[in-house]
Amino acid sequence: MPIPAKAFQRWLQGIAADTSTADVCRISGIKRTTLAQQLVRGKVSGTTVVSISRAFNINPVDALGVFDTFRDLAGPPRPPTRSELVSQVSTPDLLRAVLSRPAVDPAGQPSAERPTLSPAPHSTSVKNWVEAIDDGELRHRVSAATGIAPQNYSAQLTANRLAPELAVATSLAAGVGPVGGLVATGLITEEEAGWPPDARQAAVDSLSDGELATLAGERLLALGKALRRQEQDQEKTDKIWENLG
Amino acid sequence: MIEILQWSTLATCAAVAGARLPSALRGENRTVFYIFALFTVAILLSIEAPYVAIDHLLGGINLANLILRFVIFAAIYFVGIRVTKGFDAEDGHRLITGRTGKAVLALVSVAVVLLFLMMDTAGSSSGLKGVALRDARNGLLVELYGAAGRAYPSYVSLVLLPAMVRAVRSALPALVRVAAFLLAAGAVAIALTLLFPLVPPQWGTAEFIINYTAVLCFVLGLALIRVAKIRYGRNVARQRTSTAE
Repeated sequence: MPIPAKAFQRWLQGIAADTSTADVCRISGIKRTTLAQQLVRGKVSGTTVVSISRAFNINPVDALGVFDTFRDLAGPPRPPTRSELVSQVSTPDLLRAVLSRPAVDPAGQPSAERPTLSPAPHSTSVKNWVEAIDDGELRHRVSAATGIAPQNYSAQLTANRLAPELAVATSLAAGVGPVGGLVATGLITEEEAGWPPDARQAAVDSLSDGELATLAGERLLALGKALRRQEQDQEKTDKIWENLG
Repeated sequence: MIEILQWSTLATCAAVAGARLPSALRGENRTVFYIFALFTVAILLSIEAPYVAIDHLLGGINLANLILRFVIFAAIYFVGIRVTKGFDAEDGHRLITGRTGKAVLALVSVAVVLLFLMMDTAGSSSGLKGVALRDARNGLLVELYGAAGRAYPSYVSLVLLPAMVRAVRSALPALVRVAAFLLAAGAVAIALTLLFPLVPPQWGTAEFIINYTAVLCFVLGLALIRVAKIRYGRNVARQRTSTAE
């Protein structure tokens, strides 16, 4: 359930009463046609609200929290859990972290300068985030709470997407802070979510050698599966071109 | 209405065959060109005016109708082997080229020829309408002859159907899945022709539409695969799925 156009316009009045819609679009980098279409349909996307609030120097999380759909975002911020933080570290970064552990690579040269983590989100961040907070029953609870069919939910995760309202619903169903999913989907940045700048690095550092290696192994396994699937799809398409193209 | 459908189907088949001619001359997938050419001939022979003209040249004993049956068999056979190969349907391929497939083809061919010889086939008329009206015996023979002629295409279509349904639900490129859907629709239409003896005579128009729809679906489906190949390229890796790094 996206944001109703009426509520959106009321909100826009409140923050940019003197600015024309054309100017709002220009400042926030939204296509005028996109916004016009959303208003005509009566549903405004979370992305639109985030873009506009950034342009007007309002925290996007606070802005979203104004709307009923996202009212769970309002209220005192909750820090992310360690597993949420680690889930937002990309697989290459995680593998580098493994190799930098002396227990893993005793012959490795300890470098004084450690590479900085690439910012969230990464290419499997949505799925990794859900897996990080999943107690095994999470998907059922989200499905029961929101009415989304489990296979549609899984399809979104596989495509590394998650509708913002579903992301918030997932957080609630898992009992973690409401913003984690919005970071994982890339709707908002870590900073906007109130995550300390080095929180992810600290979370990785706090993992034991064994925990880190196991986690990296799981990621590699998933990566291998995805690559393998891609190769098989490619082989299939090539075969079709070869015989029918 | 039917005339428009007939001539536009003919135009479509001829256009697609013409478009494939240059690549066929280069030696790329000649069979696919043969399929289009055979379908063009088949449609040409199923329209009254060209049918009568051609049959007159052949002696006016409706030999053109017998040729039409075998043109259709050839077209559908090539569709069967190419599609099962392209879409990696090992079982289907064996059911068409293997012992069962050959037996079905031989049996149907013998039946078609025998029934043709048993009829009094003088007097060109497309669909053997004139022959059927001659007397009860010829009417029954035409009915059986038609049924035998529809049996082989229906057999191949039913073999193709599962592979096409699988392809539609797969992760293949969207255009290929649309093509598979068209092929599946064509296969269903051809399989439906098996039920024609049960259809009341006043529904003749429906039979026409089903026949031409089947050919159009096959031809457009195969043509679309060519378009997809050009669009996605032979060796260019498909857009990476987000599950890969």
